[in-house]
Amino acid sequence: MDFDVVVVGGGPAGLAAAIKADERGERVLVIEREARLGGILKQCIHDGFGVVRFGEKLSGPEYADRFISQLKQTKVQTSLFSFVTHAEKSEKGFHLTYVCKDGVKNVRCNRLILATGCRERTRNGIFIHGDRCAGVYTAGAAQNLVNMLGVMPGKKVVILGSGDIGLIMARRLTLEGATVVGVYEAKPTPSGLTRNIHQCLHDFDIPLHLSQTVTRVFGEERLQEVEICDVDDKMRPIAGTEQRVQCDCLVLAVGLIPENELARSLTVPLDPCTKGAFVDQNCQTLVDGVFACGNALHVNDLVDYVSESGEIAACGAASGPRKLLNIDKEGKLLYIVPQRLDVNAPADKVVMYFRASEELQNQCLTVSVDGETVFTKNYRRLLPPEMERIVLDLGKAATAQRIVVRLEDK
Amino acid sequence: MNYEKITKKVAKQYGVDVEVSADERSVFLRGQCGNWADIVAIGKMYVTEGKHVVNDIQLIGHTEQPERLPKLTDSALDGTSWDVVVIGGGISGCAVARELTRYKLKVLLVEKHSDVARGASGANNGMVHAGIDLKHQCLKLKYGVGGNAIYGDVCKELGVDFRRSGQYVIFDSKLIRFFAKGTVKRATRHGIPGVRILGKDEIAQVEPAVKDFAVGALYAPSTGYVSPYQLTIAYAENAVQNGATVSLNTAVLGMEMADGLVAKVVTNRGTLSAKCVVNCAGVFADKVAAMAGDRYFSIHPRRGTDLMLDPKAEGVPTQTISMGPSLKSVSKFGSGSTKGGGVIRTADGNYLLGPDAVEIPDREDTSTNAQSLANVFAKHSQVCPTLRRSDIIAYFSGVRAPTYEEDFIIERSAKVANLVHVAGIQSPGITAAPLFSKDVAEIVRQYLLSAGEQVVLNDAFDPVRPRPVKARQLDDDARDKLIQSDPDFGKIICRCEEISLGEIKQALHNPLGVHTIDGVKRRVRAGMGRCQGGFCMPLITDIIAKETNGQCTDVAKDDIGSNVAVGKIKEV
Repeated sequence: MDFDVVVVGGGPAGLAAAIKADERGERVLVIEREARLGGILKQCIHDGFGVVRFGEKLSGPEYADRFISQLKQTKVQTSLFSFVTHAEKSEKGFHLTYVCKDGVKNVRCNRLILATGCRERTRNGIFIHGDRCAGVYTAGAAQNLVNMLGVMPGKKVVILGSGDIGLIMARRLTLEGATVVGVYEAKPTPSGLTRNIHQCLHDFDIPLHLSQTVTRVFGEERLQEVEICDVDDKMRPIAGTEQRVQCDCLVLAVGLIPENELARSLTVPLDPCTKGAFVDQNCQTLVDGVFACGNALHVNDLVDYVSESGEIAACGAASGPRKLLNIDKEGKLLYIVPQRLDVNAPADKVVMYFRASEELQNQCLTVSVDGETVFTKNYRRLLPPEMERIVLDLGKAATAQRIVVRLEDK
Repeated sequence: MNYEKITKKVAKQYGVDVEVSADERSVFLRGQCGNWADIVAIGKMYVTEGKHVVNDIQLIGHTEQPERLPKLTDSALDGTSWDVVVIGGGISGCAVARELTRYKLKVLLVEKHSDVARGASGANNGMVHAGIDLKHQCLKLKYGVGGNAIYGDVCKELGVDFRRSGQYVIFDSKLIRFFAKGTVKRATRHGIPGVRILGKDEIAQVEPAVKDFAVGALYAPSTGYVSPYQLTIAYAENAVQNGATVSLNTAVLGMEMADGLVAKVVTNRGTLSAKCVVNCAGVFADKVAAMAGDRYFSIHPRRGTDLMLDPKAEGVPTQTISMGPSLKSVSKFGSGSTKGGGVIRTADGNYLLGPDAVEIPDREDTSTNAQSLANVFAKHSQVCPTLRRSDIIAYFSGVRAPTYEEDFIIERSAKVANLVHVAGIQSPGITAAPLFSKDVAEIVRQYLLSAGEQVVLNDAFDPVRPRPVKARQLDDDARDKLIQSDPDFGKIICRCEEISLGEIKQALHNPLGVHTIDGVKRRVRAGMGRCQGGFCMPLITDIIAKETNGQCTDVAKDDIGSNVAVGKIKEV
């Protein structure tokens, strides 16, 4: 079968991309590996989704439903419970092989939009040692157990990581009757949105322990205790500070990693800062015709921006050969997206996302083209957990040699 | 042997007074010492030709952890009688049970965990050794080299993947390469096929990752790779297919003796009688021997840690490679350090780094620790300097079960006529089991015959255990046909390892009746990839509940009591 666009992933980024591509009159196929559309939103039954986009606080499934019902009005084809096993590029576009309940299918398309989301870092990824007992789960797995299967992962819970998912799970488990002994965070500052610290921890008297981490787990069949350690300024455990905390469940909310297995198989270069692809202002990767969006591109903290990047990717149809210019980052920036500018494509409304590399006060962000400042914005406070979004007019950069995004003290 | 001399030496070197006694089989050591590594070292000093060491030197301040027992008591086996009872469901026990089903015998295998392959057989790197490290004639050499030779056939019969792709021991000095000629000669003398030395260019071509520092390599083409737990499971399944009974969650608690024979075996599931007992109890082999009043060897637990690498990590070698000895350790050339280890390409195409070897006092302490991980990484990443710690996606430890003599014990007890010991089985145990299990079955048969029992061939014996479907290994046409016949094979549940619902259901219908998350993982690899089950564990919990007509709250990770969930929401 032949399509203009194949979108891999039917979560918020993929749904938005598919709807937008359909609007543009393209023949679209969405390949979704799970049995239902919506991605991880399916299990995010708390509210707070859509504040930027819809001006209201929706639950995850409600947010997804807005797009799913819109998708049903389009000519977009979807293939559920379908898993891409192979992708390759030729002069005739992209050839994808996927398996689903109907067999092994082959499709060809001109453009490929990767909206494959992200996965969670695991116990092994942060080198927690000890026994291999039941009761140690990533926050997403714990959330699935509670919200999808209706079962409790534990009665007495320790949560490691103060990212939003950890905070949300602290509240959720408390509401379902568990005791959350504490949320532990290796960093000296919380990783989640400020509103979640208040609504999920303070409102429920759940203690937050900063600069402490879990180093070891103990238990035969199920978890019985965890070992907590203070950490130094490089987040390494300090010997001699070990203490044991009794619990039957450890929930790990220790970071998300963009899923780029398919991108890698198409030799798409990845940015070590975002762990997603390098892209231009249209979310096109360094491989012509391959676009990346949503959490596969970089981990977002608001779903609204995930949808936005899907739409940007859908609009980025090739109108001619690209000419890519690096956008360099300087100063205390964790990352910027996009990292390239296609000077042959419209650049008057470039949406740029960035994160600061540490908690900062009184900062000034400047964007310069060949030394000439084209954008400045002052920030009273910047936090790594809160992603920032700016819109740049880089229309004058067509003949430029160098674009620099710089964050510095005001 | 002059034990007095050794005892004096020990007192001088370790400050430990050892009380020594001996009988015709063993030398017995008693005393106290503050350091476990010293206790093991002292034990080794008493190893002499023809005698086993029973080391009862106590570690000061240490109380031995009580053995972990199944959280189950019933009478399922009470009053039953068997021709042969095999104790332990590792590779040894499962292979022995399967070989015994070639005869019309009532065979029972008891395993205290909720699945087979839960000890060292489930936590090693799966290397099927060539045997190049073994210096002298011993059971390890006999069964290792012989076992290696029949591996392909055995795996084919049992439907288990096996890849014979050799191993390379890398030299970074010409002198070492020169000394390696001795190893080649010895290998030839021991009947190990094809061992040779590769030059600088040759190894650089085979394995570009080492071209900057390798001056040559020792190549052993007969080294192979198997999934050790899948082979163990296959042996157990084939045994059941051929009439054996496998009783899981069943621990041996004691034995009742009569007329110098084991008359009854006491378990948490009842007391049963046995005409012959085979001790394949791994790290507990000496404890089981003691239950029959036949303690003539000691097991000293030795833990090894392996690290699993992301197969997509950059610069991972394509072959199994390890560093040869350095000039400093040249005197030890040919010792354990060159045998295995390094970067191992497993049967499943993953990469393992390791293992190490640490003597520990507790037999079941398979916990991992930061030090072992750091040591393994530092040591074995030498052959692959581009590796980063962030390439590690998982790590695990297993506990080996060596005797002080460091050789296998495969014999009928000299004291208890109906007790056969298969003890001290450590590396190359996985390699050796397919061969020694045949000899163990023969020892059992000879004993039963001598005791006046009839032992006749089992005409219905079928050596073939059907190979489980592995959809991802099929080409697109075959995979399509498979999905047409059963759409479940098109529904991917584990995205990292590409495992379908069909394969998971197939695993759940195993003849051993194992319905756990880790049981599925061992059988089809679901949950073994880079997300480590983050996505698929809840899905598999649900699938197990549905397939067993149970509740999600009943589903266990592994042993009884390791339930994934503690109750339903709003009910805890």
